[in-house]
Amino acid sequence: MSIFVAKIKRVRKPKYHYKSEPNLNIYEFISEGRNGVIRKMVEFQKTEAEGVFNLAFGDFDENTKTINDLIISNNGDSQKVLATVASIVFVFMEKHPNAMIYATGSTESRTRLYRMGISTNIEEINEDFNVYGLRTEGIWEEFLIGEDYEAFLISKNENKLSV
Amino acid sequence: MTLNELNKSRIPIIPFDKKLEELSKKVLAPKKLELANNLIRKFGIPKSIQPK
Repeated sequence: MSIFVAKIKRVRKPKYHYKSEPNLNIYEFISEGRNGVIRKMVEFQKTEAEGVFNLAFGDFDENTKTINDLIISNNGDSQKVLATVASIVFVFMEKHPNAMIYATGSTESRTRLYRMGISTNIEEINEDFNVYGLRTEGIWEEFLIGEDYEAFLISKNENKLSV
Repeated sequence: MTLNELNKSRIPIIPFDKKLEELSKKVLAPKKLELANNLIRKFGIPKSIQPK
């Protein structure tokens, strides 16, 4: 079995075990909750902006072999799922230290979910990363808890940005 | 590193899965990528944060 040993600290909150592929662009984990067992996938996608990867996350559709991020699983484990995604972001950024991660939801509620995930884990995230939010009027700023954003951008602390 | 050491390790260990390697050959969420690219085209990312 091939493995990747990440030289980073663990996300301290409970999270699921996950697996990946050698490029560390796609990750899979299994959500277990009140609605059963759900196969979750995270994909980092190259965007048109150099060095910027879009984060796609959702349930894996076995029929279409795609990620469906419109489904609301309601599996009662959202905090554990979000902590898992946060951990995966840490691993991806270790592999791609100069990358920036772009994240936006397909719906407003999905974007709120991302915001919640960042807010809940912001202390741990800020130890290593800067987080920026794209305000609805199109202005980037450093992420503030409680603000509404269209999208998010994450970079390593070494790549501190001015907005 | 031995299996025992790996099990006791406090750092994330990520096993690789051949099936995921197959999936990595295509974009799994094309609409999400399109949405992100549209937003990047519309609002960009600040120049100061674009990679050198």
